[in-house]
Amino acid sequence: MDVPKVAKSLPGVESVSKIDDTTYEGALTVRVGPIKLALQGKIILEEQNKSAWRAVLRAEAKDRMAAGAVNGKTLMNLKEISAGMTELLVETDVNILGKIGEFGQPIIRKKADAMLKEFVENIKKQLTGK
Amino acid sequence: MIPFEYRTPKNLKEVHATLKEFGTDAKLIAGGTALVIMMKQRLVRPSCLVSLRSVRGLNGIEVKDGGLSIGGLATHRAVESSSLVRRRLPMLAETYHHVATLRVRNMATVGGGLAHADPNQDPPPSLIALGASVKATSSTGSRMISLDEFFKDYYETVLNPDEIVTEVMVPKQAPNTGAAYIKFLPRTADDYATVSAAAVLTLDKSMKTIADVRIALGSVGVTPIRATEAEAVLRGQPLKTEAFAEAGEKAKQAVDPVSDFRGSAAYKTDMAAVFVRRALEKALADIRQQAKAKAAPKPAKKKAVKKGKKR
Repeated sequence: MDVPKVAKSLPGVESVSKIDDTTYEGALTVRVGPIKLALQGKIILEEQNKSAWRAVLRAEAKDRMAAGAVNGKTLMNLKEISAGMTELLVETDVNILGKIGEFGQPIIRKKADAMLKEFVENIKKQLTGK
Repeated sequence: MIPFEYRTPKNLKEVHATLKEFGTDAKLIAGGTALVIMMKQRLVRPSCLVSLRSVRGLNGIEVKDGGLSIGGLATHRAVESSSLVRRRLPMLAETYHHVATLRVRNMATVGGGLAHADPNQDPPPSLIALGASVKATSSTGSRMISLDEFFKDYYETVLNPDEIVTEVMVPKQAPNTGAAYIKFLPRTADDYATVSAAAVLTLDKSMKTIADVRIALGSVGVTPIRATEAEAVLRGQPLKTEAFAEAGEKAKQAVDPVSDFRGSAAYKTDMAAVFVRRALEKALADIRQQAKAKAAPKPAKKKAVKKGKKR
């Protein structure tokens, strides 16, 4: 699995570099009106099962100015429905900690939904080559 | 707190010059009731604060083209206690009266509040329902923006970084118009609303047909929301109170709340229908009260004046 490519499908991801086979480092910028979060952290490939077309990614990121942190887990699964059809299942569980969590729950949740949607769209584009 | 520059320009020209100097890292500060909290939380870290406090001539409230012109730097308290607003648009004075606490209202400005664009605020639904627009001034000139189109997203407006809200213009309301703003506060009086609704209702001469109606909601989406489809249910129709409930149901389609400690999304959606209906009922009661005050015989003049104020 090309982790940097997958990670960059998430809007706002700036750079992803490899540390070792299962660990990557990256930066993510999220903007909500005047609020700008610059998150820096790690992406860990927890599980990769090519035969089942399943991958689990865990991300841990912190805002540089210590306003908060984001921990998330993403499961991606490809399922063949028919010869010309494949289902992509993306499941995400994100915890937002610290000030940003306390203050911006509703904002972040709406934003996260929008980001995830775009992420899935981007992955879809990559897979179908369109 | 993180160190930052603090500038106190004396006029708009100096404000624009300072904004240019610091670029997008600079933030305008008026009352500071929203920005300072965000800065304390380190969510916003401007390199420079450009205070508007020394800028004069932007806090007036006056009659303009039959409507009301409110300066961008007028405080919430000034609007709430202005005899002009209370006489001409009592609903607006009442709306500002319901914002947070007195301490906040003493500091928060009308323009600053709108530019902050928090969908939970009280004034936006009322101002949208009243058909208000804002005047945005930049170094190259100014433009009028209808409040309908002003809010873009959570904390985001269509304002450019160098634009300042210098005036809010509320147009003259048609005859036989009633207005109401209500908010659902299950917790404390100074809390953000769970759902809020504003309605401005205009009847025709016969007082039996709805000539026009504007409905706006707060706290149920990423921006204040105008419920145009709910309005369409009523506009041009004969006046029937059952139709208000129907409009409320229609308003549900316009909202998109999030679940939080103030209620689940489903509950808030249901409450949006209830509060739209109640706002419409209150607006109708407002029209009837005005008509009654007008029709009151001369000897009751004292009473009529009082009612006129309440209008």
